[in-house]
Amino acid sequence: MTAENKVKQNTLSFKQIWQRYGTLGILALLLVILAVLKPTYFFQSSTVTQILSQSSVNILIALGEFFAILIAGIDLSVGSVVALSGMFMAKLMVSGTTPVLAVLLGIFMGAMLGFLNGILVNSTGLHPFIITLGTQAIFRGVTLIISDSSAVFGFPAGFTKFMAQRIFYVPVAALIAFAVALVLAFLTKKTKLGRNIYALGGNKESAWYSGINVKLHMLIVFIISGICAGIAGVVLLGRVGSAEPAAATGFETYAIAAAIIGGTSFFGGKGKIFGVVMGGLIIGVINFGMNLLSVSSTLQQVVMGALIIGSVTLDRFVAAENRR
Amino acid sequence: MKNVVKKFPGVTALSGITFDILAGEVHVLLGENGAGKSTLMKILSGVHKPTSGTINLGGKEFTGLTPKDSRDNGISVIYQELSVINELSIQENLFVGHLPTKKLGFINTVDYAQMKEHTKELLEKVGLNRDPETFVENLSISEKQQVEIAKALAADSKILIMDEPTTSLTSSEVAHLFKVVRQLKKEGKGIVFISHKLGEIMEIGDRVTVLKDGTYVGTKNVSDVTQDDLVTMMVGRQISGSYQHENADFNKAEVIFEVKNLTRRDGKVKNVSFKLRRGEILGFSGLVGSGRSEMMNSIFGAQPRESGEIYIYGQKADCLTPYQSIKNGLAMVTENRRETGFFHNFNIKKNISVLPFIKKSSGGGTVGLISAEQEEKWADEQKQRLNIKCYSTAQGITELSGGNQQKVILGKWLAADSQIIIFDEPTKGIDVGSKGEIYTLMRKLADEGKGVLVVSSELPELLAVCDTISVFREGEIVATFDRKDATEEKLVAASTAEKGKEKKRDSRK
Repeated sequence: MTAENKVKQNTLSFKQIWQRYGTLGILALLLVILAVLKPTYFFQSSTVTQILSQSSVNILIALGEFFAILIAGIDLSVGSVVALSGMFMAKLMVSGTTPVLAVLLGIFMGAMLGFLNGILVNSTGLHPFIITLGTQAIFRGVTLIISDSSAVFGFPAGFTKFMAQRIFYVPVAALIAFAVALVLAFLTKKTKLGRNIYALGGNKESAWYSGINVKLHMLIVFIISGICAGIAGVVLLGRVGSAEPAAATGFETYAIAAAIIGGTSFFGGKGKIFGVVMGGLIIGVINFGMNLLSVSSTLQQVVMGALIIGSVTLDRFVAAENRR
Repeated sequence: MKNVVKKFPGVTALSGITFDILAGEVHVLLGENGAGKSTLMKILSGVHKPTSGTINLGGKEFTGLTPKDSRDNGISVIYQELSVINELSIQENLFVGHLPTKKLGFINTVDYAQMKEHTKELLEKVGLNRDPETFVENLSISEKQQVEIAKALAADSKILIMDEPTTSLTSSEVAHLFKVVRQLKKEGKGIVFISHKLGEIMEIGDRVTVLKDGTYVGTKNVSDVTQDDLVTMMVGRQISGSYQHENADFNKAEVIFEVKNLTRRDGKVKNVSFKLRRGEILGFSGLVGSGRSEMMNSIFGAQPRESGEIYIYGQKADCLTPYQSIKNGLAMVTENRRETGFFHNFNIKKNISVLPFIKKSSGGGTVGLISAEQEEKWADEQKQRLNIKCYSTAQGITELSGGNQQKVILGKWLAADSQIIIFDEPTKGIDVGSKGEIYTLMRKLADEGKGVLVVSSELPELLAVCDTISVFREGEIVATFDRKDATEEKLVAASTAEKGKEKKRDSRK
């Protein structure tokens, strides 16, 4: 009897360990695999920089996506928001606006696009999937219209120089992503707003009866998602050096994958910022690794899809095993 | 079942339970929530494997059942949350998994004609007068339950386990259910009937087994025991029948809550006014659908109202949204804990703290920080005050019994220092012991000067707890009784006064 109790307790704590560090484990595993397969390339100082730089856009979008999934919704428009706010910023900069103002206005544009998503979800009562599927196309279309379907480049040197900086191998882009993650971790853990969003994600009706203004919180969630995508737009602009009208196409898939791999529940109400950052890094490492192993870009898509399904399945499998 | 033991990490859910079911009897399983009834049922249905002990089914001995073993040996469970598939027709629900087939050329196709024929027979047995092709989503709860029973018959089950089947049924529906149960008994089925309602047990049961805290208390013939005996067996103490003060007189007491001319656009509440005085508990009786819950929801601002004024301690209060109401000191313990009460993804302390945090914030509940110590303090206070049974306030709320979940919900409102508390069916699905605790708490709150309003469909509950009882009929208060003058007969008479019309509704709903 005592022996059995012990086993049960051990498995219980193993489950807790998995929940807390499972994604970290996947990340470590992937890094080890890479290090074994390509030791000469892997142990280079630029590896960390490259992984972080490739991951930061993804992490930023995923952070916003996390909130949309947390309220049992979804935001499919994030890729288009990245492109439109990026294009808007680029246009401002090439027409002489100072980079700082252009960046702020670009992020504000992201917020407004999120606001629009939120207003549409609230006023129609439709599922965010449908609304953001529509706005995804609309925002992309607007990007094509304002850019005349061509890329915009030639930004002030100050902007590109700043974005290319790194501190101890850590690129500015990653610092921005981590800073945003810290702010949002604070929001989810320490503020009433964050707590209410979790409550809302768990049970909208109970939330309403508990005095939570459901529509206001939904609106805020979509604004957060828009802001994150707007910031991702800045980072992408800095990395690529130009604003492409087709930029960030399909990025919502990576963002959703990062959030889910990071342990966010698709049914709402459960998930952590730390997990999302891990999820974003995992996707970045997979991308980086495939480039390192010279997997062709066409095959990369296939591998990425398979890995997403595989890692989430693994997570569910382990969680389910331990529940018995 | 012999000496069945089930242990979960940290808890022994069942210790040495012996339980038998004979063909052609109704064996009632009785016990408070958390007594082990659900665990026992889950062992029989193959969800859990017992830690030790044996199960003997029609001569075959098992140390544990799989869901398949359970089905193959003729056990069917009718859960409280029905498991019919809304999107399918009645006949498809009955035969899902073993559809009758016929050969069409060399492929097997579903034999709809045969299925319909079978379904008709089965529906006749359970007394459901519906076309087998009706979609289940169009049925009432009681009709869905009949479909579930028919489904068990379709699977040729010998043992039917019914988990609190009468919880959401009206009295005429219960009468109908009992008729079906008696019929099944005659056909030699063994029925395990899980219930809290002692009156029902006396009416339908042949034998009764009482469980308490996972242990076996005893098995008795129903004809040999009284309701009081059963209560004593369940809780180990006698529950006194009344929670009012003797000779209480509220006529001179201060009015602490008043509603004037409340009307809803949908016509479910028409020009209702009432007053609540300090120390008084005011109850609302009436048929299901008479507008009591709708009125409370409109007072609380969870649902819109067309007109009407609300006064709290003499001050006019807006209360147009739950947020405003909470700020004004209103609280609402809703009827459905799972849907509108708690947050399944939160532990006990988060469930409690969500409300005071919102009440003490600004900007629609969005502005402000979470204080972990404050949260801990609120949760511990309420755990003490309400005697919430848990090993830690970090425990998930879904692990608690219904009574303890209800205490957590009450705790969140008390932590927010609510002044006027609306209870909508406060003891629905809660065991007798916890009921008593909740009644005592309600009286204590009233004595402290807080306002207590109760909506209940259980007349004994209203009579035991309330000082004044108002009767609702079709959106209006049609009668108000002082507790001393109120009897079950009078309340029923008032709520069903227009006989012809009301009878019709009763038999349909």
